[in-house]
Amino acid sequence: MAASDLELVESFQKGNEGSFNELVRRYQEKIYWIAHRFVNDHDQADDIVQEVFLKVYRALNDFRGDSGVYTWLYRITVNVSLSTIRKQRIKDFLRIDDFFDYPSEESERPDKQYEQNEQKRLIEEAIQLLPEKQKAVFILRYYEELPYEDISKILKTSVGGLKANYFHAVKKIGEFVNRAHRAH
Amino acid sequence: MHTEHIKYSLMDYITGHLDEYDVDQVRSHLRHCSECQTHYDELKAAYDLLQDSQNVSPGSAYYFTILPRVQKRLMGHRESIWNDRKITPRLILPLVVSALFLVLLIRLPLDSSSEHEQADALFHAVKNYTAEEVVQAVSNLYTDSNVLSNSEVVSEGIAEHLQGDHFIRDALLQQIESDEIVDMDLDGVVSGLNREQVEQLVSRLAEREIL
Repeated sequence: MAASDLELVESFQKGNEGSFNELVRRYQEKIYWIAHRFVNDHDQADDIVQEVFLKVYRALNDFRGDSGVYTWLYRITVNVSLSTIRKQRIKDFLRIDDFFDYPSEESERPDKQYEQNEQKRLIEEAIQLLPEKQKAVFILRYYEELPYEDISKILKTSVGGLKANYFHAVKKIGEFVNRAHRAH
Repeated sequence: MHTEHIKYSLMDYITGHLDEYDVDQVRSHLRHCSECQTHYDELKAAYDLLQDSQNVSPGSAYYFTILPRVQKRLMGHRESIWNDRKITPRLILPLVVSALFLVLLIRLPLDSSSEHEQADALFHAVKNYTAEEVVQAVSNLYTDSNVLSNSEVVSEGIAEHLQGDHFIRDALLQQIESDEIVDMDLDGVVSGLNREQVEQLVSRLAEREIL
């Protein structure tokens, strides 16, 4: 029978480094997707995954099991993802004068592939534009289908507040896409 | 369930995450509440859009690369503990200079002209260091509560001579790109700026909803 997450942590704390490797294998895909949904970019998501596991490795000896292992991992993932987004926004802001806003080739030549991807792009853009809390709730609830009780522990928010955030997030995504369609 | 509760349960109703009892509650509520019915229609339309938008997986081969790279970076981290020691001495001089001037500032009652002279002297003392090093030095002093108010004076003195926006930009970018800084610490970054510059920066960042 496979060891539980907590057993792996305890084993690591006793000096078995292989248990960390098992945790990585167990959660790498989940963490990648959470990160990807936050940043909508493979390279940045990959950086986040690396950063999360580095943080986990360094903190694993101090993990006392006050929360579940996976809620702890997800909390770190959400924090690193939000931190990455903030850094990127500041970088973009500071470098904004370095570039002229040339229209991209893609937007000049809306070929068939572009048309097919337009809807997906709009939804991704809508998700990226959500306020941080709403985005986090939306990703964890809609994509990861986590119970509200677990999201509550990860984001330190009441269940009632999470439900309200989820509602407003989905509404905003729909409104954004509809507005974009009307504008075209 | 009251209207507010129903409203916030609609997404779970749509995605099939409610138990049978709650499903009945929502269904019967929707029959006579036009407001919730409107919310439902909007959420359902958004949900349908989301269903059509699935991300493409990076492929299973990608996941095999994660662990070896994490392990490589962990080895690098252990080595960098030693490398960090080579960097630290570069910060000692600006820290010592700043600390000396702090002592002077604490001990001497300054009028505005002598304050400028002190700041000027301080600038010359630290001008050969990068913006990052200066920010780091001031940051370290700033976090020491005993010298907080005085380090603000020193920070203003440095910042006055470092041409506002250019300084903000370089310092921020260097901080952001530094591997050593895991979390963005705006307080630490702006501690080397005077109040006016901080206000300008905050207002510019706020305009773009960064803060």
